[in-house]
Amino acid sequence: MLNSLKKRKNLLILAALIFFQLVLVSFQVPLNGEESLFEKIIISLFCPVQHGVISISQQVKRNWRRYFYLRDVNIQNEELNKEIFFLRQENRILKNLLLEFGNKKEVQERLEKTYENILPCRVISMDASNYYKSVIVNKGISNGVKKNMIVVDKHGNLVGHIIEPISFREARVQLITDNSCGVSVFSHEKKILGILTGDGKGQCILKYILVTEENINNGDKILTSGFDEIFPPEINVGKVTSIKSTAGLFKEIEVKPYFDFRELDKLAIIKINLKDNF
Amino acid sequence: MKNFIKPFFAIIIAVVIYSVFFKFSIILPQIINVFSLVVIYFALIKGEVFGACLGAFCGLVQDSFSLGVFGVAGIAKTITGFLAGYISKRIDVGPFVRNFLFIFILICLELTLWSFLYFFIFSERINTKNGLIFLQPLVTGLLGSTLFHLIQIIQKKEKY
Repeated sequence: MLNSLKKRKNLLILAALIFFQLVLVSFQVPLNGEESLFEKIIISLFCPVQHGVISISQQVKRNWRRYFYLRDVNIQNEELNKEIFFLRQENRILKNLLLEFGNKKEVQERLEKTYENILPCRVISMDASNYYKSVIVNKGISNGVKKNMIVVDKHGNLVGHIIEPISFREARVQLITDNSCGVSVFSHEKKILGILTGDGKGQCILKYILVTEENINNGDKILTSGFDEIFPPEINVGKVTSIKSTAGLFKEIEVKPYFDFRELDKLAIIKINLKDNF
Repeated sequence: MKNFIKPFFAIIIAVVIYSVFFKFSIILPQIINVFSLVVIYFALIKGEVFGACLGAFCGLVQDSFSLGVFGVAGIAKTITGFLAGYISKRIDVGPFVRNFLFIFILICLELTLWSFLYFFIFSERINTKNGLIFLQPLVTGLLGSTLFHLIQIIQKKEKY
């Protein structure tokens, strides 16, 4: 008996390893349960490596651009100066409009509070199994990041929200293109409500719009409604790209998100509902 | 303890390469599975048990970088690591072409296992990223066999 066990020692180890992982898997079913402590430990152990890689590559890139690759810098500088000029004008107009709601000091305080609650971050890793599902960003608990905070791109378009595991310096963002993500949205033109989920292939699907509904068209702007109590209202999500009527109750509506995967490098975590400030 | 230092550093290097790949292009991580190369390399050197253990750990590291069920890639990589060590004890996979075929078949098997488990748990097919993922065995096989061959040459030179 002992001899046969010794002979099959290797197979027993393999079986034990598979069994251990099956137990791990079974703990997570049904899906979307809490992340295990083991997963949190592994992510905390290896994310700093990615953090380091991104920091080094950023530094190299910055130095390269700053000292060596200076082609087109002059043109870029002129374009940026122009953009700054228009943004300053826009900023002045908006500040003047805000003054209608309160005195200068109060507006300044609210604006400062707003700046404090926008946390710029960088993507340090994308989902290994499907890059349309999630990304890992370089801000975590130490920066005040909490579960369900929303994440937008540099133009203010919705990208996703923070989910667990959140480590000390890193956090995971579930993208709106993930098929298990749900966002309550409405069409800007006719205020038709629906639920937006990802298709896992880079696009989104607008669900629960009845086939009898005729007030939704291609090109309609989709915004968050705020009814899900995770995403604040009126954040740009995407636009309708195709509408198909089916034999069932609901239409098949495809929505192209506004954020661009190629520009997913820099993001911002919004810590509070910014509209509550004004 | 000494036995674990090299594999641990290899995993760290795999994480670094994985991050660098993502920084350059989102295509590269889909066609080159660096974690599997680490598992196969150490399974070839240290045998099936070590391959299985390292496969389990590497798989879990890979799973921690993705949203979903933690352990799916772990199971696929455990079996891959075990088979890599088991087969290499019985067949000489040293020559370049044989080494390429060996890695190619193992990655195919790993992908099949992973997609089967994914389908079993999520009830949906894996995202093939416009068929890119099917290039993974070929590219990883080519890269792996070239790397292993280079390591062999360097080690031989060091001996003499």
